[in-house]
Amino acid sequence: MMWKKLFAWLDERLGLNDLYKATLDRPEPKGNWWNTLGSASLFLFLLQGATGIFLSVYYTPSPDHAYDSIQYIMNGVAFGWLIRGIHHWGASLMVLVVFIHMLRVFVTASYKYPRELTWLIGVGLLLCTLGMGFTGYLLPWDQKAYWATTVATSIAGSVPWVGPFILRVLRGGTDLSALTLSRFFAAHIWMLPAVLTGLIGVHLYLIIKHGESEFPGRDD
Amino acid sequence: MKEEQKKKVHEKYKIALQKGERFWPDSIYKDLLVSLGIFILLILLATFIGVPGEPKADPSDSTFVPKPEWYFLFLFKFLAVYGQIPLLGKIEWIATAVIPGLVILFLFALPLIDRNPFRHYSRRTMGLSIMGVFVVSMIVLTTISGVPAISGNSGMSTMTLLQFMTGLVIPILAYIIIVGSSFLAKRSRPLASRLQKWTAVAASVLMAIVAVVVVAIAPKTTPAAEVQQANTLSEQIALGQDLYSINCAECHGSDGEGGIIQGVAGLDGFNMKTIHSQDEMYTRSDQTLKDIISYGQPDLGMNPFGKAYGGGLSTTEIDSLVAFMRYSWDDRAEMPAGAISSIPTLNPGEVPSWDVHIQPLVKRYCASCHQAGKQNNNYIMTSYNEMINTGDNAPLVTAGDPESLLLKLINGQEGLDPITGKVIRQMPPTKLLDPQYVDMLTRWVMAGMPQTAEQASTLEVVPMPGTAVDLTGDPTAGLTVFEAQCAKCHGENGIQGIENPGSDDGTVPSLNPIDPEIKGADLKSFITNLDIYIQNGSTPGGDSPKLTMPSFGTQGILTQQQIADVIAYVMSLNK
Repeated sequence: MMWKKLFAWLDERLGLNDLYKATLDRPEPKGNWWNTLGSASLFLFLLQGATGIFLSVYYTPSPDHAYDSIQYIMNGVAFGWLIRGIHHWGASLMVLVVFIHMLRVFVTASYKYPRELTWLIGVGLLLCTLGMGFTGYLLPWDQKAYWATTVATSIAGSVPWVGPFILRVLRGGTDLSALTLSRFFAAHIWMLPAVLTGLIGVHLYLIIKHGESEFPGRDD
Repeated sequence: MKEEQKKKVHEKYKIALQKGERFWPDSIYKDLLVSLGIFILLILLATFIGVPGEPKADPSDSTFVPKPEWYFLFLFKFLAVYGQIPLLGKIEWIATAVIPGLVILFLFALPLIDRNPFRHYSRRTMGLSIMGVFVVSMIVLTTISGVPAISGNSGMSTMTLLQFMTGLVIPILAYIIIVGSSFLAKRSRPLASRLQKWTAVAASVLMAIVAVVVVAIAPKTTPAAEVQQANTLSEQIALGQDLYSINCAECHGSDGEGGIIQGVAGLDGFNMKTIHSQDEMYTRSDQTLKDIISYGQPDLGMNPFGKAYGGGLSTTEIDSLVAFMRYSWDDRAEMPAGAISSIPTLNPGEVPSWDVHIQPLVKRYCASCHQAGKQNNNYIMTSYNEMINTGDNAPLVTAGDPESLLLKLINGQEGLDPITGKVIRQMPPTKLLDPQYVDMLTRWVMAGMPQTAEQASTLEVVPMPGTAVDLTGDPTAGLTVFEAQCAKCHGENGIQGIENPGSDDGTVPSLNPIDPEIKGADLKSFITNLDIYIQNGSTPGGDSPKLTMPSFGTQGILTQQQIADVIAYVMSLNK
């Protein structure tokens, strides 16, 4: 009785029932395990966000302290190794899952009318995910990170006309420096996640609006 | 898309929904299950594999071979293979900007490009085939990314050609055939899709086979001389010791004791201060030491050693060096147990070998100067072959030759350069080696300079003279010792040895007169021969000699002075 009253009170103000109908109580075509890849990507995004927030408590984005702060996370902080381990492996898995998700959508031709925009935003999400992988790779400030980023940014710098400009924007100067690290850090924890969150919102809205696509039949 | 087609799509979807299920709870449980599985997988990966440790970023160490995260490897490899195309390969930006740009653009614009209204696989063979070939080529490029694109010699080697085929040529040909055959579709759609499908399958299989071949015939890269990474403090100190011996010992001495520098270009005769003193260690922080090593002290003649300043040491190496100095010389720092890799001592009856004894010994005391690029008469001691064969006066050591120049020099004698006639001074120039190390080197040369411990174990210990040969003996004192130790077998005054059943001679040899072979050609060899016997003892030839001569020197029965006295006495008997 108590709970029902409370729920009714909340529903009146929050529209919980409408929310439930719109998001959860939706009709769907017959499901398939391949359809879980999108939600798995979302889960990984949230997990990366959560572990990333924990890591940011101890991580210091400066060349003098980045490496040591990660050593501290690995050895000094309780369960720091677990949080970083999940974040590290989660990144790889997220790229993999998002990519396979894209392949699934391509194979079932789900990008066709009326879901063209969902696809478009999905490609944006894939690129953002790769961007997260790219920017996150530098943050440990170890040899692998430093030199891989040196090479990768110089590849970006080989683009005709705008290459040198891109290089300077990425590195914050001509060489990899403290500025590069703080730029990558800002991109990794603020800019790209903000863009990702926004795009995911639109992506989800479009999925609810058009419904999950059905697997194509012989006559489709 | 026409309005009626759109209508048809919506109608079909409505039917699919009616035949379908509810998101909650019919299908969401699958999503939750997969997510849970992923979460568990990640915890397992984090727990059992973890995150591999890497050395700290070192901008001065450009020898590091960069490797991107695995999901960018295909792109990396694509660039490498593309770079092998004659002429076109030089235009880098086509591969770095234009092609990836087109692929991304193509992905974005896919719903606009693909005007085909059908969704079923059988009617989309072109798109699926192209995507299939693309994905397989991504996987193939990732697989062969560890194989170097160029195999040394200029021009196209088989290796390069194969990678070229699987990474570029086969997929491009496949795309051309797949797109080309779509023109067939106007005549016969089934034929076109069959052609596309089989092209994709054939290309994929072919790419996979070539990739496997490439990986199989790739030269097995020995795990590249792993940059020594010290993980524990003990390892760090040991690495620091090695680095100190090679880089610092020529001026600062093998243990930081300093002294008059000799044989270092520009610093000859400079009196180097001691750096291992309490004064030095207490007044310099680790950071100060690191800075001094890395920047050098040009005014005082010390070169910069940091890579960033033109030296050869990375930041990590300098850290190890300072750890070694701090823990070895600072009495406030307690050396962790078992930290320093010491030079192994010889067991009784053991023949030293290069691998076990000589290499660490030479590395600690000689390699600082006797490495390439130093003033050392081109005598290099960093490897077995170099130690034996190099040098302007080669050979400096000859197996079994006690007169080898090297042995003379480490015993504090001077040598003459046979070509220029210049005097070669003692080695090491500032402070002679500890006698046990001189002995070790001498034994090694005399036994035949074995390289491995295995070879050494097959060799016999060569009896060697002791230090008594350099002492002046007193025959009168020698007589007393002789009466006490030798006369009971060799006889009064060494005239008649007692019987020794089981030996070839039947008696203990007389010393007065002595065997002419022992007397030798000159006094010096006489002394040496006598000393070898007294030091090491002797077992006479024969089946089972009852009496054998004990090792008076090595067993410590007599002191070296006593031995010298006995030698003097025996010589006085054989004037």
